[in-house]
Amino acid sequence: MSEITPTKTIDERGKICPYPDVDTMTTLKKMKKGEILEVLIDYPLSVERIPRSAQKNGHKVLKVEHMDGPNHSILIEVLGLK
Amino acid sequence: MYPILSGLLVGALFGFALQRGRFCMNSAFRDIILGRDFTLFKAVSVAILAEMIGFSILAMTGVITLAPKPLMWGANLAGGLVFGIGMVLAGGCASGITYRAGEGMMGAVFAILGFGLAAMTTATGVLKPVMDFLQKNTKIMTADNKPLTLANIFGLDLKIVMLVLAIIIIVIWVVLALRNRSAEQSFGEKPKSLGEAVFKKGWNWLSTGIVIGLIGILSFPLSAAAGRNYPLGITGGWTNIFQSLIKWQSMVESQVKITALNWEGAEVAGIVLGALIAALIAGEFAIRAPEPKILLQTFIGGLFMGFGATVSSGCNIGHILSGVPQLSLGSILGGVSIVLGGWIMAYFLFIRPMNA
Repeated sequence: MSEITPTKTIDERGKICPYPDVDTMTTLKKMKKGEILEVLIDYPLSVERIPRSAQKNGHKVLKVEHMDGPNHSILIEVLGLK
Repeated sequence: MYPILSGLLVGALFGFALQRGRFCMNSAFRDIILGRDFTLFKAVSVAILAEMIGFSILAMTGVITLAPKPLMWGANLAGGLVFGIGMVLAGGCASGITYRAGEGMMGAVFAILGFGLAAMTTATGVLKPVMDFLQKNTKIMTADNKPLTLANIFGLDLKIVMLVLAIIIIVIWVVLALRNRSAEQSFGEKPKSLGEAVFKKGWNWLSTGIVIGLIGILSFPLSAAAGRNYPLGITGGWTNIFQSLIKWQSMVESQVKITALNWEGAEVAGIVLGALIAALIAGEFAIRAPEPKILLQTFIGGLFMGFGATVSSGCNIGHILSGVPQLSLGSILGGVSIVLGGWIMAYFLFIRPMNA
């Protein structure tokens, strides 16, 4: 698994678009700089879109890890430069 | 047999490309206001531009006869708005819910159930008078009873305007893109081979748009050969499938034959199949279900979409992907209404709660 320990994990598996994206953005907004969010997700579009929008909002995407089947783990460091 | 095989094949290619390209128009337009993300919108635009050129050339060489849908402004507007609202509730547009059913997403399956139910009820059931009223009373044609297009309102030849307009837009786009060049970042591991890029990773927006555009171009002559003179569609396909399956309809109206599966019905079945195959190969297939509350929401969204698309005589595919390239005013209005309806619903469902 991952060497990075997330501060918080949200499990968005099974959720329909765009709830994973919305939940991720809302959670990131409430977190502190330097904290790490882990998003568990099984929706391909969001696996590609969440890193894009996280970066657009000034955060740093640490890793997009493929787990089993359609499941992925996205690790985002909260920077919030924008 | 030919219409079924041809439709199935085109649908399978389409479904494969939709899944690989994550091509969902609901997301394409909603992402613009929800995350200022234009990625999918660019893919849609590329597909439309490719079809403008492709349809135009096919028409000029006599392979196809262009078939823009007529303007029925009340039906296009009302139907489009209702459809747009529905697609945000359902979490996907008509093509989106179709291909995602192939990925194993139960939310999409429930949306399709609502879609088919409402579409049938509107096309041949108790809601038909509403559709007829809107369509008949707001239909405006040209003086010689042709559908209004961006070309004939200026007295110009449609196929030439399609080609010229597409080229102008592409040139402007390329010039702007070259001037604002910034590295587009991708995440995850880079594909190690062409096979992996096609079957295992998601496609980028340019490739997706081009492939979908090409499939749209292919669909027009193939569908026309089967008696349906129009490119890709979804709504009619699900209506056809549901009507074919529900045999009790023929028992109730004993004079009416059981509806046979037609090209569009086979195409829609093909989309589910193609998406399923694409998802299986990429390891992205899994039966996934959201909570019951959301399943109800997607079902209701499907109802709205089925009603809206049938009234408007087109969904996001029938209008935006297949009608806008033919510069049909009805499809342009229908498409714009869908986007507006979607934006209104997205605002209330996502944006306002996020900023509360």
